[in-house]
Amino acid sequence: METFVQSLVSGVLTGSLYAMIGVGLTVVFGVMRIINLAHGDLVMLGMYGAFWSHVLWRIDPFVSLLLWVPLMFLGGMLIYRFLLRSIIPGGELNTLLYTAGLSLLIANLALFSWTGDYRTIKLPYAITPLRPFGIAVPIPLALAFVLAAAITLALYLFLARTDLGRAIRATSQNAEAAALMGIDIGRVAMVTFGLGSALAGAAGVLLGPSLYLYPTVGEILIAKCFVIVVLGGLGSVAGAIAGGILLGLVESLGAVYVSVAYKDTIGFVIFLLVLLFRPSGLFGVGKS
Amino acid sequence: MRRSLVLSLASGMLLVAAATAPAVAQDTLKIGAPQPMTGPDAPFGDKFKKAYGMAAEEINAKGGVNGKKIEVIIDDHQAKNALAATVAEKLITQTKVLVLTGGRASGQAVEIASVAQRLKTPYVVDHPSADIITSKGFEWVFRNNPTGSIYPQAFNKFITEVPGAMPKSAAVVYDNTVFGKTIANSALTFLKSKNVPIVNDEAYPVNSLDFKPVMTKVKASNPDFLLMVAVATTDAILLTKHAKEIGVAPRAFVGFGGGFGVEDLAKELGPQSQNVFSSAAWSGNPNDPAAKEFYKKFHDKYGIWPKEHEVEGYAIIYVLADALRRSSLTGNLDADREAIRQALLKTDMTTVFGKVKFGNWAGPLGDKYTNQNIYSPDHSVLAQWLDGKLMNVWPKANAETNYVFPDNTVKR
Repeated sequence: METFVQSLVSGVLTGSLYAMIGVGLTVVFGVMRIINLAHGDLVMLGMYGAFWSHVLWRIDPFVSLLLWVPLMFLGGMLIYRFLLRSIIPGGELNTLLYTAGLSLLIANLALFSWTGDYRTIKLPYAITPLRPFGIAVPIPLALAFVLAAAITLALYLFLARTDLGRAIRATSQNAEAAALMGIDIGRVAMVTFGLGSALAGAAGVLLGPSLYLYPTVGEILIAKCFVIVVLGGLGSVAGAIAGGILLGLVESLGAVYVSVAYKDTIGFVIFLLVLLFRPSGLFGVGKS
Repeated sequence: MRRSLVLSLASGMLLVAAATAPAVAQDTLKIGAPQPMTGPDAPFGDKFKKAYGMAAEEINAKGGVNGKKIEVIIDDHQAKNALAATVAEKLITQTKVLVLTGGRASGQAVEIASVAQRLKTPYVVDHPSADIITSKGFEWVFRNNPTGSIYPQAFNKFITEVPGAMPKSAAVVYDNTVFGKTIANSALTFLKSKNVPIVNDEAYPVNSLDFKPVMTKVKASNPDFLLMVAVATTDAILLTKHAKEIGVAPRAFVGFGGGFGVEDLAKELGPQSQNVFSSAAWSGNPNDPAAKEFYKKFHDKYGIWPKEHEVEGYAIIYVLADALRRSSLTGNLDADREAIRQALLKTDMTTVFGKVKFGNWAGPLGDKYTNQNIYSPDHSVLAQWLDGKLMNVWPKANAETNYVFPDNTVKR
């Protein structure tokens, strides 16, 4: 029983971070029809951000969110304005190749400037986990869970309640109609890409203290990310949240009750089943 | 206009480079080394690059080999098995190296060995350790370092010779690479022969980000010993970290493989690395003056203390230089490669890594080795992380300090 509860807890905690990475990717896809292959590398930048602000200025990684989220937002908007905007009319294949190139560029610039060394963020409060009822809950992961939930909720409210949020959703549903209604879809796209980057950065900052970081860590993250967003339905925010938590749980329970060797296999088998029987994703908004 | 100017300049430079390359090449004896220079294993590629560089500089400063300078050409395989084969083939057919070394991990080295055998180019392995590399009967493949099944030998000696150390039960967690499976198999075979119950036998995908689930499973079976095999440093770090977080409480945490023997483990884990054992193929004999001198030289040059990998990389260049010196080279690549192979067969020397002489013999699990260093079994050492330093603790003759056992950092 303890083993089962432990697996559930670990699964939900890890899943909440997967969800946050997935939401960033899915928002960008929904509005701009861009599959951003550089998303994992933006997460990596967030991780390094947390690392450097901790090492150089002794800022607690969780506090450094206040610094890195706005910066990543701005960075994302700049990437859109100066790198992506002119390539978008070229079609989906072009943007796919373009973001793949961007991913290599970011990862290798990071390798060049920070070397390939593995780094971890060492926090004094991270060594001993909390043990309520004998269940191990690592403190950095618990903090990350709370903050990820708060950020995701804030995003949800932003999309549901504000004018700009409505404009983003409208553009996501039908860009042409949105433009006819007087929405500046260029501006919406820029803000959305900034938002996606900020979410990636925030996920990176939150993941930092729980993982190790190195310049090409994005590769592992992006593969998981695709499973998550397709599970939930590409373009659906609620779907990405559900997909992330589902993947976290499947990995955790699968490793304990089936075998660690098949941990990733189980995730991908579910992924294939969903594609086969519900090609539009569990939440059914995705378009083929 | 400006763009086309830049383009023509760039293509012009390429032409110049292409024209001058062969002329430079004829003056040097080329050694090819596929290594991971980018990707998750990049830190290892860098270790070997430094080690090769230092050895080559020293040899060239003393006049090179028979009047010619040696040149080590590193090519990046990104720790990908398929790419390793491509890179090896490129080094052999296009760069026209005389001999290959390097490879870094077993998965990649197996590929390189197959290419080397097919294209009749000597490949002298410096670090990859899976038994299969030298047990396929490849006459073009040589190995200086011990095989994977030799890694657990020092640990086996420890549990047999120290009173009360024989495990009452053991959990074995290993990565699903050629290396991980070889070592786990060797350890499992020995434990089973001593009737130790194996409570967990778990293979995980290499470069995992989360070991909490597997450690949850291990904790439920409450093993007396936890054995972890990791080719990647990141896996070694997270295995240890997550085992301790989840609260696995064995009498000993024992690591096997590259990841557990590098400085990063203590640097990244801090106090969580305390008392973790590392049973390795080579941990250096602190009483050996040659090793001490090398450590100092390396530290003076690069500002870091070398370990297993650097020693292996440095030593292999001397082994190759020795073979090159003894072969009469004609400029015909095929004949030269065969001459070097013949010279390697007669190698009998001592490097900072230890004695080396290639021979055919049978390993601890009965594998028939070809061109495997016959002194390999003497090299295995059990070390332990104590206050951030990796200290040899067994066998007694090589011990730097006393072992700490049972582990006094966990509550049982």
